[in-house]
This record gives sequence, structure tokens and C-alpha cells, in this order.
Amino acid sequence: MSILADKTTKVLVQGITGLQASFHVKRSLAAGTKIVAGVSPQRGGTVHVGVPVYDTVREAVAATGASASVMFVPARFVKDAVREAVEAELDVVVTIAYGVPIRDMLEIKAMLKGSKTLLIGPNTPGIITPGEACLGIFPENIHHHGDVGVVSRSSTLTYEAVLETDRAGCGQSTVVGLGDDIIIGTDFVEMLKRFHQDEKTKAIVLLGKLGGMFEEAAADFYQKLPNKKPVVSYVAGTAVPFDYKMGYAGDIITRGKITAEDKKQAMRRAGIIVADSINEIHKCLQELGYGKESL
Amino acid sequence: MNIHEYQAKKIISRYGINIPKGGIAYTPGEAKRVAQRVSPRGPWVLKAQIQSGARAEGHFVEKRAGKEGGIRFLTGRKDIFEEAQKMLGATLVTKQTGIKGKLVSKIYIEEFIRAERIFYASLVIDRMVPCVTLLITAETTNIIDLAVNEQDKILRINLGLNDKINTMQLTQIMTFLKLEERSRKNLKAFINGMHQAFMDLDAIMMEINPVGVDERGDLIALDAKIAFDNNALFRHPDIVQMHDDYEDAARVLKAAKYGFHYQEFDTGSIGCIVNGDGIALTIADMLHNRTEQMACFLNVKGGVDKDKIAAGIKIIMTNPRVEGILINILGGFLRCNLVADGIIAAASEVGLNVPLVVRFEGTNKDEAQEILATSGLPVIMAHTMEEGVEKLLKAMEESD
Repeated sequence: MSILADKTTKVLVQGITGLQASFHVKRSLAAGTKIVAGVSPQRGGTVHVGVPVYDTVREAVAATGASASVMFVPARFVKDAVREAVEAELDVVVTIAYGVPIRDMLEIKAMLKGSKTLLIGPNTPGIITPGEACLGIFPENIHHHGDVGVVSRSSTLTYEAVLETDRAGCGQSTVVGLGDDIIIGTDFVEMLKRFHQDEKTKAIVLLGKLGGMFEEAAADFYQKLPNKKPVVSYVAGTAVPFDYKMGYAGDIITRGKITAEDKKQAMRRAGIIVADSINEIHKCLQELGYGKESL
Repeated sequence: MNIHEYQAKKIISRYGINIPKGGIAYTPGEAKRVAQRVSPRGPWVLKAQIQSGARAEGHFVEKRAGKEGGIRFLTGRKDIFEEAQKMLGATLVTKQTGIKGKLVSKIYIEEFIRAERIFYASLVIDRMVPCVTLLITAETTNIIDLAVNEQDKILRINLGLNDKINTMQLTQIMTFLKLEERSRKNLKAFINGMHQAFMDLDAIMMEINPVGVDERGDLIALDAKIAFDNNALFRHPDIVQMHDDYEDAARVLKAAKYGFHYQEFDTGSIGCIVNGDGIALTIADMLHNRTEQMACFLNVKGGVDKDKIAAGIKIIMTNPRVEGILINILGGFLRCNLVADGIIAAASEVGLNVPLVVRFEGTNKDEAQEILATSGLPVIMAHTMEEGVEKLLKAMEESD
């Protein structure tokens, strides 16, 4: 098993005919992903990079039984694309685009409430279960099948975390980028829940960063878990001075300024192992008994 | 994107919110004329138009600007010219501008409003819920202290996307602020006006501090700040036009032109080029652990255009404060080979006079390393981020 997507997951691609989409779909197919359909308005009935194309998500689902979507549509069309996916009752939707307006995200979050759809992103590299499925834009050749789950709130640091598990001599069960944006579809709590339910996952790497209180929420949830799997974490942003900003409102919402140090402390209190440098994650994993010393 | 007070006030007044009579002036002579127009007898308030809070408590760098802050209360008509002259062209430093401060190139002159009482109101995105949240407090200074230590002194109301405030919420605010009943109707229009403007214009922060209550119980916005969602500006060409280029450093503007994010810090000598803010934060942490600092970073995000990437790299290469460059690219969407081509294009144009360490990982990494290896440029390659930081610091030490 793994979480969110495996080799049996039937995947459709929204916006499949774009240049970037074509490049990444070819790679995902080569990685074994079961991409069964593409969606592109007015291109229905054609075949693109070997994948049948439909006009709408509904038609694609009816014809192929797809249950997940990876979305390559531009930011300003994401809201409508998510609506289509939610209405077609997909389980998982991955939104790659960066630059989705916040108001659109507020509307998207309202759509998702009470639906069966889980949104990953936006502004994410996506989901990868090495050797089984790649729903996104992950680099080639750095992922290995294994038993460490990786979840990150920073897109590019996701790769760094994966490389750290490689350095430790571990592989990954599933890797999930939650997305860099102000408002994201899914948070750490949901992923911790799923990784804990997944038999394949033995340990978890969690990458946080400055901004919001996602790490605090994760720490709260983890503390209350009865049977904890070990979690190794890193929080980016200890050294960076706060942005110069206008007004007070942002800091009131969080009940005062929140530093990376605050987040680290919250996680340590909950029993999460926090590395001071991202490049120490592999050592933390090895100290827990995962991977090989020699690598 | 931020705008000035005078622009924000103009916007909220279109949504039915009362504002004092005012006008903008770029010269002392203009200030005198504007003052005459907005209030023939005064008193007046002269307000430095820089995009920062805490202007009243700020100070000017130049001695000629006097000891007072960026908000000045004047009763005599003859003082207007002189005070405007002091402030215009001077540099105002506040708690929010950073140590360099900001140049005051225009001032806003308003009629003075005798407020019987004042309070704080703002709308902001609470990303954890997520929703638009209304924040109200009777205090108008040291609000952050309240947020930390006396949370019950700040009222928070989560608002729907399209709903107006309901009677219960209205009563809640009235009671919280102990407003008189005669202000009820005005308060309702005020909050609904804020919310409507916030949603219509894709704002991410709107702060009215203070809101004044006059002798009739009417509400009036004595200050206003609005920040807009950069990702939604395509829907608002009129707001894009309000952008004040002078508020941004030249390099920030240039980077934005290519769709990149550039940020500069007050100290440090190391420039970084990354493809994600998370990497920049992480490198800054690593430098910090070695008592070094980042001078600036450029985030080329998921750039796919070689020429734009080259133009971006030049922004860092031509920064005189940068004594060493670390390029760390974890290619997914972004392909490493495009960055390698960009480095060569930029270096051939502006020269490479400081140590450059490059670390590629991910999409088309091998091709990218090959491009640099055969380019003849003195590029130092690194395998990990930590190694990149160490190699750069060593090379900078040796080149001293």
C-alpha cells in the first residue's frame, strides 16, 4: 500500500494538451502511472501523447473510471477545473499551477467542504509513489520505493527531503507536496493521519516553513495520536528577517509573530524529531534505525 | 501589491465609507493650495505618503525635516508651506520600513476631524480556517502586544464570502466597542462597505486605523491601508495602475518584470538564485549557522524561458553588494539545463567577477552540469545544499 495513489489508481489529466503538460505526462507514463484519460475542452475524441482526450471530466470518468486528476491548467482557470473534478466526485485532485488567486481558493475550499474530493496544492510538485504512480512534476531518478513517507509545505524542498531519505539509504512510500501557497487544499494533519493508517509507511519526514500555523496544527494532532510512527522534521526560515509589511493585521491573526523557532519547539514538545539543518535529516533517520550507516 | 493611504481612502469612499476631505501634494506650494481647498480655516493634518504603518511614531533621517514624525498636525496656515517643504524629499524611517526608510515624494493634506473616540478595524485572510476575518479593537496602538497578551481585547469575526454582517454580529461589535445606538446604522454600512471592497477587489488585507466616531456618532476612516493579491491583479487593471514604482527597489521591479521574485536584506554579501522560497529560507538558515548572511535572493520559480532566466541571473550578478553567488536549483517543472544556459548568457554579458557555486538536482541535471563544465566559466559545482554553502564560503575567503 501507499497513500493517495498507487499503480492501480486510474488518473486523468486536466489540460493535457498544453506544452508543459505533454512533457510531464510523458514522464509520468514512463514512470508507470496509469494515466487513462486527458481532458481538454473542444479536443474530445482526439488522442494526445497516446492518451484519449475528452471534453469534460465527467465524460472522461464515465469512459475510463478515473478516480484521480492531475491538473495542468493555468492559475486563473483552476477554480473551474476543480469544480469539474469535485462534481465528478474524484477522490484526489492535484493542482500544479502557481498563482491561483486567494479569493478563488476561498471559493474552492467552500466547494471541497462536504465533498469526497481531496485537493493537493496548488503550487505543488504533486504526489509520487515511487515505482507506481507520479501525479505531478517530480524530477526523475531521485525517488526509490521504500517505507518513509514524505510531506512538505515547500515545493522545491520536497526534493531535498527525498534526497535526504536517499542519503539515509531509505526509500519513500509516498511523497506529497502540499503546496507553497497561502491557502492550500490539504494540510499536514490529513497526511499524518493517512501515513499512520498506511502499513507500508514506517516513518515520516515532514518539512515545514515560516508562515501560517500548519506545523503547530500538525504537532497538536501528532501529540494526541495513540500509536505514533516516528516523524523527522525541518522548518525553514530561522534566519530570515520578517518581510517589511504594512499594518498589524497579519500578526494579530496568529496572535503575535510566529518564528520558525516557535514551530520547532511546538513540534519537539509533541515528540517530533526536529533537525537544525535540512541536510541532517538523513542522520536523524539513521539514528532511528532506518536506512544504512554506510551511505 | 500595496497602495498609498490616499488611494485606499478613495477606494473605500466609493463603497460608502466616510473619509475626511483631502488632497495630494508634490510640492510645498501645492500643499498650501490643497490645504486651502480642503479646509479654509484648518486645522490640517499633513501625512507623508509612504507605504508603511506607524508613520506618526517614525522619524526622518535628514535633520532639516525636523524631529516630528511623518504625520503632522497644523493649526496655522502659514506653517503648511514650511512643514511640507521639510517632509518632501526627506526619508522617513518607521518600525515597518526597515533601517533604510522610505523617500517621501508626496504628502496628503486633510482637514482635521475632531473624533470623540477612535477604534481599530481590519479585514484579513485567516489562512488556517480559511476565511476573511474582521478584527476590531478599541486600542489603536500596540495592537500586536494585545494580540499576544490580551487576546480578549480583540474581537474576531469570521465572515462568509458574500454575506453581509448579520444583526447578531453587528450587536456583538456595538457591545464590544460600547458604541452608542445612534452609530448602529453607520457601523453596519461601514463594515459591509469594507467587506464588499475587500471581496470585489481581491484584497488580502484592509486596515482602517483609526476609525473615528464624530460628535454625531458617524464613523469616518482616518487612515486606510489596502494590500491586494498579486495573483488576482489580472482582474483589476485599474488597481495595477495605482502601483507606485518608487516604493520598490529597482531590482525588485526588474525581477517582477520577468515574473520572478527578488528580495534584498539589509546586510550580508551572498546572493542566491533558487527556484523556490523554501530553498532561499534554507540557505539563509545554513549561512546563519555559520554566522554569515544572505544579501539577496532571486526566485526564478518554474521559469521556462531561457532569456528571462538569463535576465534574472544578471540582476544578482550586477548587485555590487554581492561578493559570492550560490545557485541552487532543484528541477521539477523547471529544467536545470535552461538555468545553465542562462548562467552562461548572463556571464558573457556582464562578466563573472565573484565566486559562483552551482548545485543542480532533478530534471535534466546531467545535461546542465555538462553545459557548465564545457563552458570555460570558473563555476564550482556542489552536490548538496550544505556542500554548496561550504564551498562558496571557502571560495570567498580565498578570493579575499
